[in-house]
Amino acid sequence: MQEYRHSRAQPTRRQFMAAAGATLALSGCSQPPAKWAPVSIYRAAEYSENLYDLIRRLIAEHKLDVRGKRVVLKPNMVEFDERTVINTNPKLVHAALEGFRAAGAADVRIAEGPGHRRLTLDLADAAGYFSTIPGFESAFTDLNLDELTLVQMVRPQSKLRSLYLPNTILNCDLLVSLPKLKVHHWAGATLSMKNLFGLVPGGVYGWPKNVLHWAGINETIADLHTLFPRAFSIVDGIVGMEGNGPIQGTPHPTGVVVAGADPVAVDATCCRIMGLDPQRIGYLQLAAGRERLTEDLVPQIGEPLHSVATRFAVLPELERLRLSDGESKS
Amino acid sequence: MPDSEEIQGLQNRDGGWPYQGRGASWTEPTCYALLALAASGLGQSSSARAAAQWLAHRQRADGGLAPRESVTESTWLTALGLLLPPEAAEGLDRNRAAAWVLAQTGRESGWVYKLRMFLSGVRTDVSLSFDGWPWYPGAAAWTTPTALSLLALEKLERQNTDAELSKRIAQGRSFLLARRCRDGGWNHGSTKSLGYDSDSYPETTGVGLLALHGWTGPEIAPAVARAEEHLAACESYQAASWLRLGLLAHGRQPQAPPSTRRGQTMEIALGTLADAAQQGRNLFLD
Repeated sequence: MQEYRHSRAQPTRRQFMAAAGATLALSGCSQPPAKWAPVSIYRAAEYSENLYDLIRRLIAEHKLDVRGKRVVLKPNMVEFDERTVINTNPKLVHAALEGFRAAGAADVRIAEGPGHRRLTLDLADAAGYFSTIPGFESAFTDLNLDELTLVQMVRPQSKLRSLYLPNTILNCDLLVSLPKLKVHHWAGATLSMKNLFGLVPGGVYGWPKNVLHWAGINETIADLHTLFPRAFSIVDGIVGMEGNGPIQGTPHPTGVVVAGADPVAVDATCCRIMGLDPQRIGYLQLAAGRERLTEDLVPQIGEPLHSVATRFAVLPELERLRLSDGESKS
Repeated sequence: MPDSEEIQGLQNRDGGWPYQGRGASWTEPTCYALLALAASGLGQSSSARAAAQWLAHRQRADGGLAPRESVTESTWLTALGLLLPPEAAEGLDRNRAAAWVLAQTGRESGWVYKLRMFLSGVRTDVSLSFDGWPWYPGAAAWTTPTALSLLALEKLERQNTDAELSKRIAQGRSFLLARRCRDGGWNHGSTKSLGYDSDSYPETTGVGLLALHGWTGPEIAPAVARAEEHLAACESYQAASWLRLGLLAHGRQPQAPPSTRRGQTMEIALGTLADAAQQGRNLFLD
């Protein structure tokens, strides 16, 4: 069993500033609140050719140097139902594939381990991945059936002490989480952090990966984030899902792509776009720890948040997660 | 190329089979490949003997089977080992494997969980009352591991009657009947989520029907009807094979599967098993 943290992890801007703030506090100066890494918000009305330019812009804007690196794109594929929008749209995934290839990555793979349906390639086919992405099968790794390493959890918040994880993910230089913008009937929202549930191999834990639920959903999301704190996030918010997400909800056209180098900041921003309070989302609270997730501490690039914010319908049980009216405007 | 030759061509040098391509050997595709070889009359071939040896090494000290060499935990796959004809699984200690399977239950049907729910004032659904089988020890029970464990225990019961076996078989059957979706079929095992009905999937509907072979209750007709609907629309060769196996177990003669195949072990093996069942030899039920 090996103790593992993402080997190429560098301190984030937030971590750097937090450390700097701590130094200032120790020296007796007043401590400014730490800011999170910046989050990009861009309008994208539809799944069009413009996405290819947008991805290239995001790579440049966040100074992602992937030259010669191994990049893994992790979309969200769960089930397929033609009546709604469960999965990350393959057009966005293809744009990311092309974008990272154009940026000089040595290898770009698409990888996912769906949590309910076992027949991953059949699911991907139904969801349009084969028809949209040329050579999809050769670029794809089924994380449910990949080679494995037993990883020791680092200061786990959940009941998990170790977890088998796929080598494709453990050996990559940059993990890119490509979730769908969705509400989630248990976790409140499923975004770039919850998307990491798909890394856990069904070949060991089954379909669904129910071990994670028993260990605590919020806590395991936070633990997976601890293992991959530098995952870059690109959220498909062009058409999101509201209501009874993550599977049985209804499409909610939102017309945005949200991206950034800190999954906590990206997910907090996405929550605000949906009208949810990130400070009431359990896993964001756990991941943020003592750091605050207020909007003023998340620098934004592109569109102002309030201009794209749109209230997602949620189940009655989740109304308690709403932003109060005063908080929904910047 | 006959399916049996195609299966043998996918075998790894260590004797096991990968799920896909030239990957490492896993227990699940190895069990299905062995079943398919047995269905093709090759249960005593050198290929099958090498596989049986590989499988015997996956049996852990607790009697269960691990999913692959690098995993040190016994899981639901132990039931698959018990589904193999004894001659195709020489070296597997069936008694210890059976004891392991019998010791597993879904965590939600245990008294600790029920007590916790009771103390929290949460009313638990009746479907949580029955002991099914989890994918992984310590988790809840789900459709596929319960269906396959049920089939495995029924095989054991045909060889030797035992009250404990009969009790678990009855519980497993009740679990499956209680976990049917509103449309008549099965999904992974969650019929409702926060009170909202969930739809069934093709592959799990096939597995559920197969495990309920011989059951003639009123639940079967809607399940068969849903399976036939799924099969008519099915584009997945593997899912279609499960649907065929399930429908054949209830006396139907299902249509041919979709023609597109990806050439993976499980897909070819399950197709072989469905073909054999269509010709009157169902390895899950023999």
